[in-house]
Amino acid sequence: MKLNRRSFIKSAAVSSAVATAGSIFPGISFADWKRVKGAYGITWKKAPCRFCGTGCGVLVGVTNNRAVAVKGDPNCSVNKGLCCVKGYHSVQALYGRDRLKKAQIRKNGKMVEVPIAEALDVIAAKLKETVKKHGKDSVAMYGSGQWTIPDGYVASKLFKGCLGTNNVEANARLCMASAVTGFMTSFGIDEPMGCYEDIEHADVFITWGNNMAEMHPVLFSRMLASRKRKKDVTIIDLATRTTRTSQAADRSILFKPNTDLAVANAICYEIIRNGWMDKDFVKKHTTFHKGKTNIGYGTEDHFKFKDKPENMSFAEYKNFLEDYTPEKAERISGVSARDIKYMASLYGDPTKKVTSFWCMGMNQHVRGTWINNLVYNIHLLTGKISTPGNSPFSLTGQPSACGTVREVGTLTHKLPYGVVMKEKARKKAEKIWDLPAGSIDPKPTYHTVEMFRALDRGDIRFMWIQVTNPMITMPNLNRYRNGALKDDRFIVVSDVYPTPTTDVADVILPASMWIEQEGMYGNSERRTQHFDEIVPGPGDTMSDTWQIIEVARRLGFKKQFPWSQKNYIGKIWEEYRRFHDNPKHNMAPYEVLKARSGVQWPFVNGKETRWRFNSKYDPACKKGSDFDFYGKKDGKAWIWARPYEPAAESPDQEYNFWLNTGRVIEHWHSGSMTRRIPILHNAVPESYVELNPEDAANLGVVNGELVKIISRRGSITMKASINGRGVPPKGMVFVPFFDEDYKINEVTLDAFCPISKQPDYKKCAVRLEKA
Amino acid sequence: MKKAENTRGLVHGLAAICLVGLMALPVMAAPGIPQGFDANGEKIFKRYDKTPLAATTGTDGKRNLNSYYELRQYPGSPPMIPHDVDPSFSSKGLKCLSCHEKGGYDSSKNAYAPVTPHPENELCFQCHVPKHAKKLFRENNWLSIAPPKLGISELAGSPPPIPHSLQLREDCIACHTGPAAVAEIRVEHASRGNCRQCHVPFISTAPAKEFKRKN
Repeated sequence: MKLNRRSFIKSAAVSSAVATAGSIFPGISFADWKRVKGAYGITWKKAPCRFCGTGCGVLVGVTNNRAVAVKGDPNCSVNKGLCCVKGYHSVQALYGRDRLKKAQIRKNGKMVEVPIAEALDVIAAKLKETVKKHGKDSVAMYGSGQWTIPDGYVASKLFKGCLGTNNVEANARLCMASAVTGFMTSFGIDEPMGCYEDIEHADVFITWGNNMAEMHPVLFSRMLASRKRKKDVTIIDLATRTTRTSQAADRSILFKPNTDLAVANAICYEIIRNGWMDKDFVKKHTTFHKGKTNIGYGTEDHFKFKDKPENMSFAEYKNFLEDYTPEKAERISGVSARDIKYMASLYGDPTKKVTSFWCMGMNQHVRGTWINNLVYNIHLLTGKISTPGNSPFSLTGQPSACGTVREVGTLTHKLPYGVVMKEKARKKAEKIWDLPAGSIDPKPTYHTVEMFRALDRGDIRFMWIQVTNPMITMPNLNRYRNGALKDDRFIVVSDVYPTPTTDVADVILPASMWIEQEGMYGNSERRTQHFDEIVPGPGDTMSDTWQIIEVARRLGFKKQFPWSQKNYIGKIWEEYRRFHDNPKHNMAPYEVLKARSGVQWPFVNGKETRWRFNSKYDPACKKGSDFDFYGKKDGKAWIWARPYEPAAESPDQEYNFWLNTGRVIEHWHSGSMTRRIPILHNAVPESYVELNPEDAANLGVVNGELVKIISRRGSITMKASINGRGVPPKGMVFVPFFDEDYKINEVTLDAFCPISKQPDYKKCAVRLEKA
Repeated sequence: MKKAENTRGLVHGLAAICLVGLMALPVMAAPGIPQGFDANGEKIFKRYDKTPLAATTGTDGKRNLNSYYELRQYPGSPPMIPHDVDPSFSSKGLKCLSCHEKGGYDSSKNAYAPVTPHPENELCFQCHVPKHAKKLFRENNWLSIAPPKLGISELAGSPPPIPHSLQLREDCIACHTGPAAVAEIRVEHASRGNCRQCHVPFISTAPAKEFKRKN
């Protein structure tokens, strides 16, 4: 190509313009940033993202001890260099103006700043006093799926081990307890068998009540990219509300709330009726079971439930499914028999690899354990499990719900290895923790909802809350906030910003946030992700782990908490790892974690396990087997007969709408971090109520007008959103829960799955008024 | 080689990029320059010289922000039509969408057609009009605002927000990718697909809000 003068000028202009647009800087003036003084170079350090359970690897750009930029970590196989808008701006959450930097103590009703050592003294004294006055089970620790692994580990060691109370719970009870009980009842061992690589292998994706486009956007992009690259990839969005995920899907199928149970059973019915069952697999690797029915909703205090599993034959199971022919399921669910048959044909097609994704839609469900079981049934009947692309995949919502809550076991019945009810597990913990035999109580105490009820009743008098915001996130919030505010309740809150939860605190501890401390998270695909202390925290901030260690030492447990602040994380990790010294759960050594952008467990002989229960990939499988579901004694997974049962509270004459709650892509959890990030706050400055356009017309409201949402528990008035981010079907409204000025959980119901004890935030009855 | 040279002007869009990619590269010794050193680095410069502009920059270089705003009265106004159209302007003979729905190379204009983000609105002339008069009827004191700045990322290297309203411009890929994209706002990673995963609206003309607790 010979250049004449004109084309040369044109081409130079274009390439300089492209260079400018393409490489962001230099050459473009950046608004009005305040610059870090004397800073020229950036060093990049790896960390997992602070927000959701996807576990993206990020590289944090640091200059003069300030985090100034973020890029996707190309070495991290989760996101391969791409983040979402929250991840890219995550470091700005470190620098909100109202960051908590000093400890505070309530004195004469007012919070006053004190040196942190004084606050720690007060906490230790109050703990001791409360145990003395009201017994060991009157003190509680309420933690988080955002706890680092060491945070949760030392919390469990102090409360379960040293203090001997099983009053340790975490907000992950509200987010993935049903996933855990689903795994335990179907497979006898927790966490997904597959990994994110399933996304590139699968031909069909079915999202069960899971708006991945907003909640797990990075994985959703991987799915879209796979569909674009390959031929014949199909995405089905099976949900109760139309979302961005429905827009991107090849087919959007809506079901009535709670009726996914009927749909899943009908899919199984069709699979068997059409001879799509993998008979060989089912015979070799599964057994059939049923449990109790009409199991209740847990809305009353002291609710107790224990399932009673019974064996059943395949013929009996088949007979059970007769209630769920596609036609009968259509009457229950509103999903056409045709659509049910279509989905069954996708699951049943032997040439197609199928991945099911779900998260809160199936977990925050009064029959959460059941619906988890039923989706596993589909994959077990068709033998589409534990092989690349064939994957029932339960996603998590918090960065370390798996790592800290499920693996460390920061739930009332759990220990890092096994459950408190088992002597072997208690002995193991007592040995590793250097405690006398019998230190650990064999009886679980309160699950989260019951724990806050106990606080309200006065059975619990002292609660320490770390890295979470229950005064936004507890369902039926009015009761639990009033409980926390009662006289003679002592609340300690460790957090990074003032929140409605610090508002009810008697002591506030300023916590290190994310990369201001060393730690590990564990994501949805069994990946443990280490991060160093990358920037210093402001003021008196202290890691949650170290706060607990300080209090433990004040209580006299120096022997159990001997570490120095210089290397405690590595020491804690190596101690914790002893709980998982078997090929089903081996964790990678500290040095390996430090070096890599995440390592999957089981980590056996220096290798990560991508697909569990499949002897091709999983060294824990019995030799000579093809599949080995080794969580169960006989190596066989359980197929469960679980019926459809309705929600705890369905719309009636008076309260005639469903209320559904959830998130938006911009805000994470209760918004205490994302709302302090300017770009995210400006994109969605406040919450709103989504209405179906027809319902809005009937109510006489247009976009932005105020609507009052009233339930039997409370009411809230907020702006209507019509044809906005999502569209609920007629008879349903949807509200994002992030906004502390519109606490939708004052309206929701504290009904839960009797097996998992996880509340259902997706279903309760409300009525609407134009405000 | 000859054949490829001759047909270069006729192949369109991505096809051009593919064909160029397949061409055998001639290694012809230029007088006085020794061959076979620097890992045959000369190939890079030869390839650069032979590859059409549209294939290297991803745009045909005809549209940039200056020409883009010249067609508009203010940022966000419907652009006027910069080329001849049938004066009757009846939708019968006028098929804007035949070029502007999906884009592509128009040999009569030697340019790639910009893609509309809202092809569902078929009555194009409702908003877009050609320019026939050479002179204004009367002068006008109209003042516009400055168009949004580029690259206003919150952090160095973070994805810039969407500075404009999404009304009628909700289809990012239509305007921000392809050979007809305005050079300065063309993105190189449209294959990512879910644009709003990383880019959220932060309208440049709206006042920025700061989160403050109410109590």
